Parts: sequence; structure tokens; C-alpha cells
Amino acid sequence: MSARNGRVQLVAVLVTLVLLHFYVRPRLFDGRLAPDFLLFGLVIFAMRSGPGAGAVAGFLVGLATDALSPARFGAATLADTVVGYAAAWGRAVFFADNLLVNAGFVAAGLWVRDLIMLVASGTPQGQLLLELGVYSPLQALTTAAAGAFVLYAFRQWFAVRLDA
Amino acid sequence: MFPASDRGFSRRDTALFAGCMLLAVTALFTPDRITLAIATGLRQTVLAPLVWLQEQAEAGRGSRARLKSLLAERDSAAFAAQFLPSLTAENERLRALLGLSHRLRTPYVAAEVLHQAQVTDARMLLLSVGQADGVASFDPIVAPEGLIGVIWNAGQHTSVAMTWAHPEFRVSAFTANGSAYGIVAASPNATGSDAYLEFRGVPYRDSVVAGTVVLSSGLGGVYPKGIPIGTVMGVIREEAGWARVYRVRPAANPASTGHVLVLIGRRVGSVGEAFSSDTLEPSPRSDSVKVERRPRPAPPRATVPVPPARPKADSAAKAAPESTVRARPDSTPRPPRRPRAPPDSARPDSTP
Repeated sequence: MSARNGRVQLVAVLVTLVLLHFYVRPRLFDGRLAPDFLLFGLVIFAMRSGPGAGAVAGFLVGLATDALSPARFGAATLADTVVGYAAAWGRAVFFADNLLVNAGFVAAGLWVRDLIMLVASGTPQGQLLLELGVYSPLQALTTAAAGAFVLYAFRQWFAVRLDA
Repeated sequence: MFPASDRGFSRRDTALFAGCMLLAVTALFTPDRITLAIATGLRQTVLAPLVWLQEQAEAGRGSRARLKSLLAERDSAAFAAQFLPSLTAENERLRALLGLSHRLRTPYVAAEVLHQAQVTDARMLLLSVGQADGVASFDPIVAPEGLIGVIWNAGQHTSVAMTWAHPEFRVSAFTANGSAYGIVAASPNATGSDAYLEFRGVPYRDSVVAGTVVLSSGLGGVYPKGIPIGTVMGVIREEAGWARVYRVRPAANPASTGHVLVLIGRRVGSVGEAFSSDTLEPSPRSDSVKVERRPRPAPPRATVPVPPARPKADSAAKAAPESTVRARPDSTPRPPRRPRAPPDSARPDSTP
């Protein structure tokens, strides 16, 4: 299968994730622990497109996030840029075609994104600790689980290995 | 097949990363005026289809459950409305006796909260109404339980709201029994689910017992008087030996609120007018006043009588809870204005 087909498949999955994020998530999930499909899309895109493209994608996703919920404009942009770049960097260190590794990348990316966002938006220390210690890990788990499900569904397209 | 990339790092990648970081950091330190314009522009253009999509999802979610709830509320309101004419007449008579002005009429628009997946979601909310619906910056936002926050930036069809959980949020408040005034703000020490507010600047002589309800005072001209903010839970600390800070449990939770009301009526312009508007009366929906709203008219000061003296705080406090139990005019049509109540009460001029 050509690289062009691969890109089309990746774009199709990303569009699906955007629809999941803005249409399915508000209908099915409630509250702080709902999976973040945008971040999952960013991580899998970055892992398959390289650090530069990952950083640019993170910048754009962060910009959109800041426009929708600007606790401090620029905080999400900064956080997602770092996550996009780091995800692309991480695939050079780990086995990025493994399902669990992908899910782990997503979980770690979400936690790091929250850490940077909370710090950059001036969150008080008590709330920061609770968010990073309880809510962020739980949301990271739900996002990783949802991501693993999506990757499993599209495992042929993403050449994902299921063995540990 | 589209496997994970095996491409190595290049200078181009590093340059792109550095450029994005530079832009992100610049955005962090850019003045709010500019960033708000950028955010509004993005929401109205590139992100408009996504916002529309989420609006549809939020509106569709739980519509059946909401219908049941609305039917129950409508039945309750219809039952309560049977006593409305006599209560209105009695209220007018009593207010005339006390020398109080008429209540403020505060129109509103209903809005869906478009929750985001970010960790800071409860601090800033995206609402499904904007300038096209008559919403403007600094319009107060309430839920059935109490105060949620204020409109921070209104776009054409969406708005961004600052909730009470935001570190910069402040509202002038007083206790329901009228014993103390102060400023309510988010606590810097609050932790997630244990989020609470602080009632600051309460003088030593004005002690507030636990369980006292705190309401917006109307001072400052942003929030109308009488919106429930929360309940006092106890003293947190003392400030410089002259004031106490109380812990307040918030009445409404922005993180779990899906439906809010934006009060779009004219705001009280001065302190004198704020004291004259001691209570609220049933409010018309925005569609009946939308035409009047654009452009927002200047407060018709001449039509708001300023009382000669400050009314008793307790009278305002007693009347304030009524403001939380408003009937929607479209569900309970306003009865025709009745003539003055018959002289069966204790009015001095009516006694033979």
C-alpha cells in the first residue's frame, strides 16, 4: 500500500476522532474524566509524522483548545506543542507499533499536557496536586482505553502489533 | 498501512518546534484584548462547524429526561401561578407601605454549556449563545442553584464565561440576614472536588454563623442583587486583625452544569440605583426584549426611583430568596394588571 493511501487513512481516522470528540463525547460522557479524542489524535499523528509536523499539529490543536476554553490563552497551545513534539521523539525510543505502547504514550501525553496547562494557567497548588494526582491519571486511563479501542479497530491501517 | 514513522530528527523539525514554542509563549504573554479577539475569530470561522456539532450533541443529550423534568416543573409552576395574582397584589401593597421601589426586571437567555475535555474546563465555560442572542460581556450567568459566573467574552454565536472557580473572579456579597457585607472569591487553596469560595473582608463585629446563605449584593453593577452564591461553612482565617475570611460552599457547580441562564437585562449603573433595586421580579425571556437590547440602551436612570434613604437590609434579605424561584413568563402568562387591592388591609389611608 502506498504512502499516499496511508496518509488518506490517517486523515480518515483523524476526522473520525474529531467527530468523536465534538459529537459523541458530549452525548456519552460526562464531566472531567471523559476521554480526550483530540489529544489521542495528536499523539498518533505525531508518532507517524515526525517531530516537526507533530509540533505544528500540537500548536494547531492547542490553539483550537485555547479558543474553546481559554483559561489562559496560550497555555494549551504551549502544552500541546510540547506533547506533539515529545510524542514524535518518544517513538524513536520505544516500540511505537505496539498497541500498549501507543496507549501508554497517549496516557503520558495527556498527563504532561495537563501538567503544563495547569502550571501555565496559574493553578493554585492544592488544586494542581489533586488534578495531577487524581483526575488527570483517571482521564489519561479513559483516553488511553478509548485510544486502544480505536487503534485496535484500525490496526490494519496503523500496522499495530497486538503482542506484548 | 501507515506505520509509526522511522524518520530521524532534522534541523527543520527543530526549527518548527522552536517556532511553535515561541508563538505559544508569545500567546501566553499577549494582552487579553488581543487574545480574546483571536479566540473569538477562531470560534466564528474555523471552529464554527465543530462548535455547532457540539451544540447539537449537548442539545440532544438527555432531552427525554429533560422533557420529563420540564413537565414536572411546568405542573408545579402552573399550580403556584394560581396564587400569583393575589400574591402580586399583596406584594405591591406591602412595597408601597414600606416605600420600596418596584423590582428589577431582568430578562435572560437560556444557554447550553459546551464542556471541553481540558483540565481547566470548570474555570472557563463555552456557552452556546452570543451577541446574536443579546449576550454581552459582563452579563451574569446563573443556574437554578445559584451564581455560576459572568460572560468574559461574547462572540457572535458563542460566549466564553468566567466561573466562580477562576482565580480572578470576584463578586460583592452580603449574608441573607443582612448582617455582613464582603467580597466573595475563589479560594486559592481549594482542591478540585473540594472547591470552595472565600467570603472576604467581613469586619470583626459582623460575625457570620455557619449555614448562613450568601447572596450577591448588587454593588458594582455587574450582578443583580439576591443571586445565591453559597452557604457559609465556617471561619478560615483572620486578616490583619480587623476582618475575617469565611469558607463558603458554592451553591452551583460549573463543572456539572449543562444548562444556564444568562441575565441580559440592563445593569444597575450606580450604587444608589443598586440599593433601590432590592429584589428581582419574574423575568421575561430574551426573545421578548431582544429588539430592545441591540444596541444595549443606556440605563434609563430617570425611570428608576432612588429612595430617599437606604432600605433596611433585612427587607431585602427576606425578599431575596424569591428571586430564585422565578416562573418563566412564557409558561405562566402574566395576568392582566389588577386594580389596587381592596382596602381590607392595614393601609393607613384605607381605614375609615
